[in-house]
Amino acid sequence: MAKTDFLALLRTLNGHRVDYIVVGGVAAVLQGAPVSTFDLDVVHSRQKENIVRLVAVLQELDAYYRAQPERRLTPDASHLASPGHQLLVTRFGPLDLLGEIGAGRRYEDLLPESIMVQAGEQVLVRVLNLETLITMKEELAQEKDRAVIPVLRRTLDEKRRR
Amino acid sequence: MKNGEPPLIVQPTHSEEGVDLTLIRWMLSLTPAERLETLQSIVDFREAVRSENG
Repeated sequence: MAKTDFLALLRTLNGHRVDYIVVGGVAAVLQGAPVSTFDLDVVHSRQKENIVRLVAVLQELDAYYRAQPERRLTPDASHLASPGHQLLVTRFGPLDLLGEIGAGRRYEDLLPESIMVQAGEQVLVRVLNLETLITMKEELAQEKDRAVIPVLRRTLDEKRRR
Repeated sequence: MKNGEPPLIVQPTHSEEGVDLTLIRWMLSLTPAERLETLQSIVDFREAVRSENG
């Protein structure tokens, strides 16, 4: 089984100059929330040239859909250009590529709500800010998303006190 | 309280919903890169335990 390596995933995306925003648990952790996650969730730009770069990344990562691992199906450009969620496994662990999140929010919509964070040595990443992460979680009906909201809210409170 | 000493302010350790605020303060004391390293070490530990237990 592929061992999760968040930094390696981020380095690969950056190495191919993919336009993306980290959302979900990793975005929360980078901003100080003590939550846990196993996958890297990103909202990617669905511009044509970015999709080309993303396809190259998925090839390098040996990515395939984790719902049917035995079939080793890989998303193509049309899947990546859709608003849907591509739930993949790669040689550096699970990677979710999200065309849209919440109430139809695309990469371009989320850009003003994002900040740049140094995630590692020479790994600068764009992440969704805590305020918007909380809004996104509130828009989702899933229990697992709602469960983390109090932790995110308190993290935001503590950050504002500093 | 002795003269000249600031009053001791005890911060709450948990929120009303039971969120551990000390953990949040500790995470906020780290750099973003250190926070990601912490998450990575949790994932590595879980994977090691799973591997050990088949």
